[in-house]
This record gives sequence, structure tokens and C-alpha cells, in this order.
Amino acid sequence: MDYRAAFQISAAGMATEKLRLDVTTLNLANMHAAGASADQVYRPQRVLTQALGFGAQFGRLAAAAQAGGSRAVVVPQDKAARMVHEPGHPYANSQGMVAYPGVDHIAEMVTLNAALRAYEANVTAMNAARTMAARTLDIGGQ
Amino acid sequence: MSIDPVSLSAILPTSEQFLAPPAPGFAAWVNESIGAVNETMVSADAGVRQVALGAGPSLHEVMIDLEEARLSFQLLAQVRNRLLDAYQEVMRMQV
Repeated sequence: MDYRAAFQISAAGMATEKLRLDVTTLNLANMHAAGASADQVYRPQRVLTQALGFGAQFGRLAAAAQAGGSRAVVVPQDKAARMVHEPGHPYANSQGMVAYPGVDHIAEMVTLNAALRAYEANVTAMNAARTMAARTLDIGGQ
Repeated sequence: MSIDPVSLSAILPTSEQFLAPPAPGFAAWVNESIGAVNETMVSADAGVRQVALGAGPSLHEVMIDLEEARLSFQLLAQVRNRLLDAYQEVMRMQV
């Protein structure tokens, strides 16, 4: 059934957005993980996606490759560690500064929302394709 | 103009035609389709079980597999409905 192609395209989009959600959750979870020095703290990550053309999408379908597998990469964000003055902290340096990951809380929340909306859009597209297929089966019915 | 008599051997099927196995017909196709649909449903069910156990494919892939299984079953059901309609149409035929 050729509707399988539409489903697989939507599935690739869903997989990408799910990865974005996972990475954002990881950033938020590690937001307050202090490190012994500025280069030892957690580096916030981000998902980079590369759009695949229609032909590539179908080529991968034909090859039965894992949907959405190779089109998204996770790279570290270029964010400097956040230095906080906490003299009593076990990780404080000689100036009493503690390094925290440079996670941009607001930007992460916006990414979270954007990923959620994009996922919903993919689900809606998939449901539209399914409805279309179901309507096709109604052809000639009583 | 001469008219040739029709010989009996031209009308009767040859022995090869008698002995040849009948081509796989519609029934075989339906059987095959039922098998394929059943396979789709079984694999979707296995995916659901794996997700419930916390392993295997991601949730959206399983949901999409379920939808595909449902659509292929609906297609088969529609084929069966059309077939039954045609059969009943033949049964209602006046002779």
C-alpha cells in the first residue's frame, strides 16, 4: 500500500522531534550539575537536522533503512559555563566561583514547545493520510 | 466455397489441457492476502508487547504499524464485501 510511504515520512519527522525532546530534557536535567572546573561541566547539546529531499526519502524507504536514523545529529552547544559565586561549595575554585552548565533555560523551554508542536503536526499529517486511505476504501461502498 | 466439417478433436480439449494443473485463481489470492494481513497484525501485536515490556521500537512506530495493520485488514474486508455482493447479485438472477 503506497500510504505506507506517507506514514514512514511522518514517522521520520516524529523520530526527529522525539530526539529533540530527549536532548532538551537532558539539558534541563543537567542544568544545575556543578562541575569541578569550567571545562568539566556538562556541555548542553542540540539537535541538528538536515532535510532530506523527496527522492532521498523514498530511496531510503525503498532500502528499508531506519526512518529518520541518519538525518539528525546531536552536537554540543557553544555555550560557556555559567560561573556562580558560592564560596562554601566543595567545587568552588580559589575565587569562590562554581561552574554550572551554560544551559539557556528559556531557549530550552522554547525548543521543548517547538518540538512538541512539530510532533503534533507530524501526527496530524499521518492521521490525514490514514483518513485519506480509509476514505479510499469507501469507494463503491453502500 | 467449401465448408470444412468441424472435427471433434478441435472442440474437445487436448489431454495436456486436461492434465495441466489449474492456474492459481482468486481463492489462492484471497488466501495469500489473508495470510499477509494476519502477518501484519501479528507483527504489530509483537511490537505492542515489546513496547509494553519497555524494549523494542519506539511508540510512534508501533502505533503506525497498528494503523497499517488496521488499514490492510479494512482493505481485505472491503474485498470480501464486494465479493459477497457480486455473489448475491448472481444468486438473485432470474433464470
